[in-house]
Parts: sequence; C-alpha cells; structure tokens
Amino acid sequence: MDLDLDFMYETFFKILGGISTTLELTILSLLLAAPIAFYMAVLRLNDAKISSGAVRVYVSFVRGTPIILQILLLYSLLPSVLNTIVQTLGINFNVFDAIDPFFYAVVVFSLNTIALLSEVFRSALISISKGQLEAGLSIGLTRFQVYIHVIIPQAMVVALPNICNITVNLIKGTSLAFLMTVKDVLAIGKIAASFGYNYIEAYIDVFFVYIILCTIIQVLYTAAESKISTFRAMHV
Amino acid sequence: MNYRPFDPSFLLQSIPALLPYLQITLFVGISSIVFGSIFGILLAKAKLSSIGPLRWLAQGYTYVMRCTPSIVLLFIVFYGLPKLVDGLFNYQIDDWDRSVFAIITFVLLFGAYVSEVFRSAYLAVPRGQYEAAVSIGLTPLQAVIQVVIPQAMIIALPNFGNSVINLLKEGALAYTIGLIDLIGKGNLIISQNFGAYAIEIYLACMFIYWVMALLIEKVFFIIEKRLDKGQTLKTVQTVKQDKKRARLFLIKGVKFHGPGS
Repeated sequence: MDLDLDFMYETFFKILGGISTTLELTILSLLLAAPIAFYMAVLRLNDAKISSGAVRVYVSFVRGTPIILQILLLYSLLPSVLNTIVQTLGINFNVFDAIDPFFYAVVVFSLNTIALLSEVFRSALISISKGQLEAGLSIGLTRFQVYIHVIIPQAMVVALPNICNITVNLIKGTSLAFLMTVKDVLAIGKIAASFGYNYIEAYIDVFFVYIILCTIIQVLYTAAESKISTFRAMHV
Repeated sequence: MNYRPFDPSFLLQSIPALLPYLQITLFVGISSIVFGSIFGILLAKAKLSSIGPLRWLAQGYTYVMRCTPSIVLLFIVFYGLPKLVDGLFNYQIDDWDRSVFAIITFVLLFGAYVSEVFRSAYLAVPRGQYEAAVSIGLTPLQAVIQVVIPQAMIIALPNFGNSVINLLKEGALAYTIGLIDLIGKGNLIISQNFGAYAIEIYLACMFIYWVMALLIEKVFFIIEKRLDKGQTLKTVQTVKQDKKRARLFLIKGVKFHGPGS
C-alpha cells in the first residue's frame, strides 16, 4: 500500500484550518447548554412532578437515540419551521439562503449537550450534602448566593472530570457536522480528498488532528482540575 | 416551496417498512458486541499484565480510540482496509459486504471502551478475595475464574450496559458507507418520495432506537438484580455499601464511557 505522503503533508495543514470551526461549535454548544442543563438538574432535584418528568423524558430520548438521527431530523425540520414562523410574521427574509448551517449545528449539539450535562450536574449536586445549603442560609446568604459561592464550586470539583468527557465526546461528535455542510475538520478533509480520490490519506490526517485536539483538551481539563481542587470537600 | 403538514399516519405506516431492516442493524451491533467484548477482555488482560510494552501498547491503543470520532475510523477502515489487504496479500476485498467493514470498525471501538470497564471492574474486587481463594487451595486460575470474575462481572454490568447502548447508537453511522440498515432504508424511502416525509421517517427511526435503548437498559437492570442474589452470605446492607463503593470506584476509575454517554 503506498500513501501519497506529499498530499498528506499538504492536506494536514489545510485541515488544521478547520479546527477553529470545530472548536467554535464545541465551545458555543457547551456555553449555551450549561445554564439550561443546570436549571434542568435543579428541576429534577426539586422533584416537581411535571417538570422533572418532562426533563426525564427529554434526557432519556436524547440519550436513547443516535446523534446522527438527531442531526438528520433537526436539519430537515428546523429550516422549514423557521420559514413558517418567518412567513406567518410576514417578514421578508429567506431562511434557506440567509442562515448559515453552522447555526443549525449549534442548535443540534446544544440540545444534545443539555441532556448529557444535566445528568452530570444532577449527580454532582447530589454529592453535596444538604447541610451546605442550610449552613449558607443560616448565616444569612440568599439561596442564589449559596449556590454561587458554596454549592457550585464544590459541585464543580465532582463534575469536572465528567464535563471533560462530555467535551471530548462533543468534539468527536462535531465531526458529524459535515452532514449539515458545516466546514469542520472532517469536511475539509473530505473535500480535499475528493479531488484526487485520496480518501485514506485525508482521513488519516483527520485522525491525527482529532488525537491532537483531544489531547490538548484533556491537558487543559487536568490543569483546571488541579486548580479547582481547593474547593474539594474535606471528607473526600 | 409549498408545505405539507406533519403526517403522523405516515410515521406509523413507515415503521413496519423499516422494521425488517432492524435485523441488519442488530446483526452489526451484536457481532460487534460479541467480538468487541473478546477483544476488550484481551486488551484488559494486556493492561493488567506485568509486561511493560504490552501494557503501554494496550493503554496507547485505548487512548487513541477514545480520541477518534467513530465516523473517521469507519471511513479509514472502509477506504483503507481494502488497500492495506491488497498491498500486503495482493487480495481484493473491495466487494466484501459493507457490514463487514462496519463490524470491524465497531469491534475496534467497542474493544477499547469495554477494556476500561473490564479492567476497573477487575481491580474493584478486593485483593483479599483472590488471596482467600488461593489460601484454601484453589489454583490461581481457578481463583480468578470462580471467585474474582463473577464478582467483577456484577461491578462491570452497569457500565457494560451503557457501552452496549452507545455502541448501538454508534452503529447508526453505518449507513454513511452505504450499508442498507434501518437508517439506510429510511433514506431510501425518503428518496423514493422525492425528499418528502424526511421528518416522519427520521422520527420513526428515532422511536425504534429509543425503544431499543430502553429495553436494553431494562434487561441489564434485571440481570443485575439476578446476579446480586448470589451474594447470599452478605447482609443486604453490606451489598448495598459494596455496590456504592464499586460505583464510586468506577466513576474514578473509568474516565470515559464512550461517545455520547
């Protein structure tokens, strides 16, 4: 088997250009998902019957279906739904031309991440004893303040390794954005390959780029973990 | 463009048309789970071995697999393997069924995921169990097979179940290399209708996957309950504590549960 090494070398640097898209997609989805996921986690912990049931069904559905189907569904659903909304409002705006598919990708991956993150937050919040909340309230903090200053820092210590997992999986998952014509790492590799039918070389390049990306992310999270470990509860 | 309202009846109609193709999805999934578990056991054994290079190789392999998007691996196997086999053995495998390439990919991935599950479950069984077994005259092999592994299996079960569900979800990618499985058939139906009914078909596929995931979860839950009955010598309290401890250990020990978990 002979690989076209010159092609691989050239394409590697072309593919590196796609990292920005991949990272933007990942970070944007995480940032959008985090507050909603946190709210969902609190809803589930508060045992409000209807809302916690709804959250449970949502989480189960997202976790029980392949992300590729979620992409295919939303990519065919969102544009027409948006178009209907725009038309009923009577705005002159062409949804199909004006909206970058990147936007749809962000929506899909955020919806997916919300479900996964809410479970992580929930298990992290469970690990914090109720006494922490009571102690905070008893010294005169508001509920919101207790969450911000006492509970979330401690919960973060527990949640961080799992958030790292989710981030790595999300980066891997964004490789499917090429189905929505987003030009991320994999899509650029695919396009470069199709000129000369050098698929295998391009995919090996992509493979290396993802390994490098994931390694960097994991190093960053490990650094963050050691930084945040000051909040680690005494008894752990 | 004119619009057609969402048609729930088409969704229901399409399920019987899709279901026969579920067996291809399941065939790929189950073969990958069976061969992947065997591969995972070998990898876990390598990770626990005292031979340094073997350990590093297994750990390195697992690390690389965790960082690789399944779709990239699927494309590498699908495009690269025929070239590799042709170059090495001068033998053409281009015309092999696409499911073979899908299975090879998912075996490679699943092996890496479950090897971590197996390794941490094996380590979660207290060393004293093995020592006690050997001290009453069992051979080391007997001790491992009859004492350590049955206990490790219970600990591994929840995470193994997770990995199985994840694998089935990953299996959905197989249609991208042209395998006519559940989603492949769905796409065929969509193109037969000139792109209409995409939403209904995808929703139908999602419901089938969802039901499958819920069923698998349930089955693993039942098996877990069953296997727990073996622990008759322990009081209920300690079993509970042990499980809690095992789970805590697993959370620390297993960093990844595979994509999408």
